[in-house]
Amino acid sequence: LAELLNSCNTEQLVFVSNFISPRLKRDFLKDLPIELSLHILSFINDPKTLSRASSVSKFWRSLLNDEFTWKNLCVRHHFRRRSSIAPVLPPSPTFESPASKCSKFSYKDHFRRRYIVESNWKHGGRTLVTHISPDSGVVTSLQMCQNYIVVGMDNKKIHIFDVSDGHYIKTLTGHEGGVWALQYIDEVLVSGGCDREVRVWDIITAECKYVLHGHTSTVRSLKMKDKTIAVSGSRDATLRVWNIEEGRLLHLLAGHQASVRCMEIYDDVVVSGSYDCTARVWNIVTGECLHILQGHYSQIYSIAFDGDKIVTGSLDSTARVWSRQTGFCLGVLQGHTSLVGQLQLHGSILVTGGSDGAIRIWDLETNRCVQNIAAHDNSVTCLQFDEKRIVSGGNDGHIKLWDIETGEFIREMTTSGNAVWRLAFQETKAVVLLQREGKTVMEVLDFDALETQN
Amino acid sequence: MDNGTSNNDSENEIITLKSCDGIEFHIDARIANRYTLLNNWNGGESACIPNVNGKVLEKVLEWCEHHINDPQPNCGDDDSRRRNTVIEEWDENFLNCDQDMLFEIILAANYLDITPLLDLGCKTVANMVKGKSPEELRSTFNLVNDFTPEEEEQIRKENEWAEDYQ
Repeated sequence: LAELLNSCNTEQLVFVSNFISPRLKRDFLKDLPIELSLHILSFINDPKTLSRASSVSKFWRSLLNDEFTWKNLCVRHHFRRRSSIAPVLPPSPTFESPASKCSKFSYKDHFRRRYIVESNWKHGGRTLVTHISPDSGVVTSLQMCQNYIVVGMDNKKIHIFDVSDGHYIKTLTGHEGGVWALQYIDEVLVSGGCDREVRVWDIITAECKYVLHGHTSTVRSLKMKDKTIAVSGSRDATLRVWNIEEGRLLHLLAGHQASVRCMEIYDDVVVSGSYDCTARVWNIVTGECLHILQGHYSQIYSIAFDGDKIVTGSLDSTARVWSRQTGFCLGVLQGHTSLVGQLQLHGSILVTGGSDGAIRIWDLETNRCVQNIAAHDNSVTCLQFDEKRIVSGGNDGHIKLWDIETGEFIREMTTSGNAVWRLAFQETKAVVLLQREGKTVMEVLDFDALETQN
Repeated sequence: MDNGTSNNDSENEIITLKSCDGIEFHIDARIANRYTLLNNWNGGESACIPNVNGKVLEKVLEWCEHHINDPQPNCGDDDSRRRNTVIEEWDENFLNCDQDMLFEIILAANYLDITPLLDLGCKTVANMVKGKSPEELRSTFNLVNDFTPEEEEQIRKENEWAEDYQ
């Protein structure tokens, strides 16, 4: 054979080569056992390659429609299934088994949607609605979840918007002073403010069910345990536990020496942060003070609590981590050079925002700062994070998106203004309230996949 | 304990493996001990490996020998195994063979339960797939486009999202 090839000219050799080389190739995905083919695909994590591969041949296409591949991809991209995204499935213990193929949920579709949503967060998205208020009221509080976006203003008003399309629904009026704190669960809304009153509203009827008197100064913080119990904290240095179903006071929690600036509830425990430089842990049911957390040298402005750990942010430019059980200080987080006014805690990740314009990401396993981001030219006024991203707003008027893994800046979420008051986001939506050209502006941004191509 | 001493002794022990086509290989017993399936055949001083021919077994054993001092892979960490698609230079050269051999190595690694080699082979194929257009893929693996133009158009539409969004 060698002799034969030696006697060939170039043209003949090219022919031989073209003739032979396809025969030396293997269709790995078809010829290998299917579990090995799927194993090969599990090393590919970009959807572009996978979708291109699916248009190669019928066999590759059928292989690439395999749920295993797309489930893998979902895991790799941290696209966890959530009830809010995934269609509601009947409870089935054998869901992961092949038998579930008859159910409507598909990992491929799930991946596709989440991938588009991710991409929209990074590059696209659209403004669902922009509300520009004629006056220039300061936005003090914001909640977006379930059905409504609720905005509390220092001009005594509470505005309600539809979370699905951002449309204005109604305004709750009744407070005689600025609203400084609010929360809602389902249709029950509780608010408090400068008029020292706590009001309980029915969002659907816009009726004010109760006006709860007792505080002798501005209500500065407020949290609901559920639709029955709410706790308010005031500049009068007390907290009050209310039964909001019946409209009566359950406990007066006295002990702080100055304004109660912030609080957080988990189960039957409320933790409060005060301008007296301490935080306190209280039992809501008994009204008992369980711990006094002492250590900060200056006023406490922010607090986070997950049932186990408590984190406080202070004007002394540190954050402190405390044990709910023992009341001991577990760590002092140093790094900010000014007030730590913003905190969010999830698992072992803590994100803080300071008046120094910095955002810091901490690992509470080690109490170390893992990222320090020079985020804004001025105070960080609001921030929120989830497993993928941080969105922050600053007194510099910018709203910025960051990668939580790397701390990298991704983009500005919308046209900047003079100052950002508040922001909130969910999986596919974000709402920002800012002052732009002297007016109070609310924008609702949408990152969902538009189902036009189907 | 008995086991401990015999482990130490086995460092210099040589055992003989026989491929399905009767070719014999003399290998360090540590290799056999390391991989369960090779070990299972290690009933005595020699063992026969069905299903794997001499040419392929030689390659597989070459790989095992090179990697004999690697730390034991952490079996539980499936995801990080997958995420790491980097291939070392030696391995890359090792697998820079014809597709047929690569194919046989993957099969043998699977059969002999040599997970790191299996992963390596699969990663190599995955890397051959990555970043290629459908046409390039067909030519790489000698595939025939068996779609009708209508089907092709439909698939293109279905896959638009992956091309459009980054």
